[in-house]
Amino acid sequence: MTVLAVDRLVKHFPIHGGLLQRQVGAVKAVDGISFDIAKGETLGLVGESGCGKSTVGKTILKLIEPTSGRIVLGGKDITALKPGAMWPHRKGIQTIFQDPYSSMNPRLPAGTIVGEPLENFGIARGRERDERVAALFERVGLRRDAMRKYAHEFSGGQRQRLGIAKALSVAPEVIVADEPVSALDVSVQAQVLNLLIDLQAEYGLAYLFISHDLAVMRHISHRIAVMYLGRIVELTDKRTLFARPLHPYTEALLSAATAPDPRRRRRRKAIVEGDVPSPADPPSGCHFHTRCPYAVAECKVKDPSLREVAPGHHVACHLR
Amino acid sequence: MSGILEVRDLHTQFDTLDGVVRAVDGLSFDLDRGETLGIVGESGCGKSVTALSILRLIPPETGRIASGSIRFEGEELTRLSEEAMKRLRGHRISMIFQEPMTSLNPVLTVGTQIAENVTRHLGVSKRAARERAHEMLDLVRIADARRRLDEYPHQLSGGMRQRVMIAMALSCDPQVLIADEPTTALDVTIQAQILDLMLDLKEKTGTAIVLITHDLGVVAETAQRVVVMYAGRRVEEAPVEALFDNPLHPYTRGLMAAIPRLDTDATRLQEIPGMVPLLTRPIVGCAFAARCPLATDRCRAEAPPVVDAGGGHTVACWEVTP
Repeated sequence: MTVLAVDRLVKHFPIHGGLLQRQVGAVKAVDGISFDIAKGETLGLVGESGCGKSTVGKTILKLIEPTSGRIVLGGKDITALKPGAMWPHRKGIQTIFQDPYSSMNPRLPAGTIVGEPLENFGIARGRERDERVAALFERVGLRRDAMRKYAHEFSGGQRQRLGIAKALSVAPEVIVADEPVSALDVSVQAQVLNLLIDLQAEYGLAYLFISHDLAVMRHISHRIAVMYLGRIVELTDKRTLFARPLHPYTEALLSAATAPDPRRRRRRKAIVEGDVPSPADPPSGCHFHTRCPYAVAECKVKDPSLREVAPGHHVACHLR
Repeated sequence: MSGILEVRDLHTQFDTLDGVVRAVDGLSFDLDRGETLGIVGESGCGKSVTALSILRLIPPETGRIASGSIRFEGEELTRLSEEAMKRLRGHRISMIFQEPMTSLNPVLTVGTQIAENVTRHLGVSKRAARERAHEMLDLVRIADARRRLDEYPHQLSGGMRQRVMIAMALSCDPQVLIADEPTTALDVTIQAQILDLMLDLKEKTGTAIVLITHDLGVVAETAQRVVVMYAGRRVEEAPVEALFDNPLHPYTRGLMAAIPRLDTDATRLQEIPGMVPLLTRPIVGCAFAARCPLATDRCRAEAPPVVDAGGGHTVACWEVTP
């Protein structure tokens, strides 16, 4: 059952310049991407800085307005909803950030922070709210008495647990998790990843999991979409992606990732050269052609569309 | 092989409102000429403070090297004057950090900054220094180096800035390069470029590298020998293959089981329960005992011995029998 469907989503940020501050261009942060996520599924969105993965997350959450395209949450088209009309739908889609601390009021006790959505949505108040919050604390591995503590008294991993408890409080269908473990040490990262996997099994949550870390992706995702300069270049189940990557950029990412295996360095294949071009002025044709070792003349002029080359395996490349 | 840098029983401490933090708590290691030594550990294990101690960059208002010895080519750095340290830094011992933007001067061109380091330490003419800067940018594979010399740091990408830092660090042919999380802020494809560059330059110049990182993948792919740190102490040291084939310390084993893998679909990651101990109180016994699955009363009471597992593999643990 599809709980979130995204169709040809576009988000361009205008660039203003000149004396009159007219629009002189646009950063094409998200440039026509489509995917859907089923109940209980994790779709990983992987890519390097500036590829637009976080903008996808923010747009789906309607924290920023899409330029065009469609976002369908639980069967309801939320693309054009104004903040007031969007409000009841926010229960269905929640988020976890990389740095939960920055979104927590330092003057409020943790129990109040986690219980805020329950009050805001009129789900529970007073004693009932406190009981629910206490249960959430226990579910994410925090002690009940930690409800009285303040955000600064928690470690990084515990704060992420608070963020998860808050997101869970309104029983969402979809959670957008943007780099939720990137700031954590590996031993703590493992705790948080395990918790996310357990919660998914328990509540049938769908995750849009945004990360730059391929190993984390492989661990948590069912399917993975690889983004490059605002577009999805490859989308398939994780086994296929790691065993038989088709897009040259996916190949480059996998080959560049470090692994805790000293023998791997001798097996490493060619490394892509150069930097990611600016999304304000992306290369013509296939965005990756400037760094692609296989690029041919066609790649410079013709934009490859995302095609299904095998069941469930989509790739945007002229050569594959 | 001979040791170029010898660190012995180093204690570095900081004064905080909560008391004295023992950031480095009796650390010893050697760096051989021309080798790459990885120092790995999680936040707060003291790996960066170790780097700052070697460079004598611990801010004197809050911290100090309380005891121990750091010998560089036989010279005791802990007793060297600040003037002598200034002559050493950027010349015979160089460093690069995680965020190049905080180390580069935003109002000087990169050419000027590299040339400045060369003039200061080697006393050559401005023209010769600029030539050297050009040569260095070529060496770190910055395309169109002549033009880049006249650019400012903000005009460069993150990967390019780190290349400039490496160019500057190597401009006076140092014997030791200390790299503290040099690729942590970079994207994976750029990280791969920078790691390759560092290894390639090490081959060319023979500079020994101390690579400080939290990332076991980076260590596995670059270091020849690895020191694993926990709570300011060395818990294990081994040649890189031995460490990854046969990790001995329960902490090292825990770390390896906690990382998600690229090559397999593990069903569940192993967690290390609990948290790093507070460093404001002296730690009795083994620092890892509170989180260790093997810990006994002896571990909690007495500091563990350093057990030699052979082949340069040592581990500080009561319960491990190699």
